[in-house]
Amino acid sequence: MHDYRKVSRASRWLDVRRRKLGMWAYALNRITGIALVVYLYLHLVVLSLLLRGPGAWDSFVALARSPFYLTLDVILLAGILIHGLNGLRIALTGFGIGVGAQKALFTILMIVSAIALWVAALKIFRI
Amino acid sequence: MTENPFAEEPKPTSAWLWQVFTGVGLVILLGLHFIANHFVAKGGLRDFTEVVAYLRDPLILCLEVLFLLCVTTHALLGVRAIFLDFGPSELAERRLDQVLKVVGVLTVAYGLGVTWMVIR
Amino acid sequence: MNMLKVPLQIFRYKPDQPPRYDTFTVEVPDTAHVIDAIDAAWAVHDQSLTFRRACHHSSCGSCAFRINGVEKLPCVTRVTDVWDGLTPLRLEPLRNFPIVSDLVVDVSDFFQRMSAADMTITCEAEAFLPFTVDSFAVAELEPKVVELPENFSRFNRFEQCIECGICMSACPTMAADERFLGPAGLAAIYQARNKTDDPKKVAHLLGLADGEHGVWRCHSAFECTEACPQAVDPAGKIMALRRELIARRFSKLFGK
Repeated sequence: MHDYRKVSRASRWLDVRRRKLGMWAYALNRITGIALVVYLYLHLVVLSLLLRGPGAWDSFVALARSPFYLTLDVILLAGILIHGLNGLRIALTGFGIGVGAQKALFTILMIVSAIALWVAALKIFRI
Repeated sequence: MTENPFAEEPKPTSAWLWQVFTGVGLVILLGLHFIANHFVAKGGLRDFTEVVAYLRDPLILCLEVLFLLCVTTHALLGVRAIFLDFGPSELAERRLDQVLKVVGVLTVAYGLGVTWMVIR
Repeated sequence: MNMLKVPLQIFRYKPDQPPRYDTFTVEVPDTAHVIDAIDAAWAVHDQSLTFRRACHHSSCGSCAFRINGVEKLPCVTRVTDVWDGLTPLRLEPLRNFPIVSDLVVDVSDFFQRMSAADMTITCEAEAFLPFTVDSFAVAELEPKVVELPENFSRFNRFEQCIECGICMSACPTMAADERFLGPAGLAAIYQARNKTDDPKKVAHLLGLADGEHGVWRCHSAFECTEACPQAVDPAGKIMALRRELIARRFSKLFGK
């Protein structure tokens, strides 16, 4: 608390001990957000394989159908669901809707994410 | 008597609003994109011929371009929010905005470029 | 009434020394509040221990600090409510304020924020009847009309906020952004806005809240509302301000 260096102050949101649900939601949103930005640019780079023609792209797709990559897909989807649904909660409360119910909203949306993730994972691995 | 810095009206900002609009847009567009590219084609992921056919559909092309614009805007606004938490000076803030605008334009240009090369 | 021997682990900081924690064991009744314990530490162990306190009943907002990492008003927090009977009770100053000495923080910037919204330190008394509780987003508090007892013709309704700074300490954005108006500052703007019909004043107040370091910097952690000892619901007020600012933008857009 006596440390006023900017990096230390900018990373205080990471310490969620003794914090309430809203703070956990914020930290989760930020972490998934950072991960998704990294994924976005990785994905855009991978798309350049399309410029190398069917050979390059189709070999990549074959790789992407492996269990390891499918698992990564499920993790990606988890990040998307958490960030997206929590983001909807932030949008709603930010417009003044459901502010009193923000904790319940977070819990419900995370349960919905978990269910959606489970269903999607089953479909992903069955393909 | 020194001026109260908090009593001066600042410049209004719409960044958060754009973040929310693109975010809500993404729930729909990303949802469609994910489903279309993971679950619709036989075998889930699309091979080269399937990607070309997919992007040549005019409606799909519009949605994917809109998706690209939304996701780039949303991602870079998010990055900007994180950097703002490092308490940059006014000058640093302006530089940050300039850099992010350039990155955004380059990202969208790249995406459009790759799409064009694939479908022509 | 039983006596308790309570170990206190207190954050110490003097400008010419590095920060440290001192452990003092104090003997207080089991009905004591944490402020009594720290009073005892001062009286018995170390009179260089610095802390603020005044009213001892959560009206002045002076004494706020962190107990085991959580912001509280020690004057209304019983020792038995926060002490597990074994581990030392950790007492630390509020987050996000410069530390003056030990548990005392520099609140000058904080009061500048409050005064920007014209909410000066002396609460403006409002006498009106009946009154409603102005916390639309706090589920536990229902708006209610209070009937005055027979002999009373009027009474004063003070602002809910006691300017204790707890919300500012709990807020993760206050940690990161020194120019953020903060939950207290923004709640004050909302409060001041609701007290006036003058369009120029309203526009000015909303303008204060509309910047990069105003309502839009809030990341919806809601820690402020959770930590507030007075049910001010600063988060709810920030969201209400946002709603009004958005509505104004839309009206401007459509030329109304």
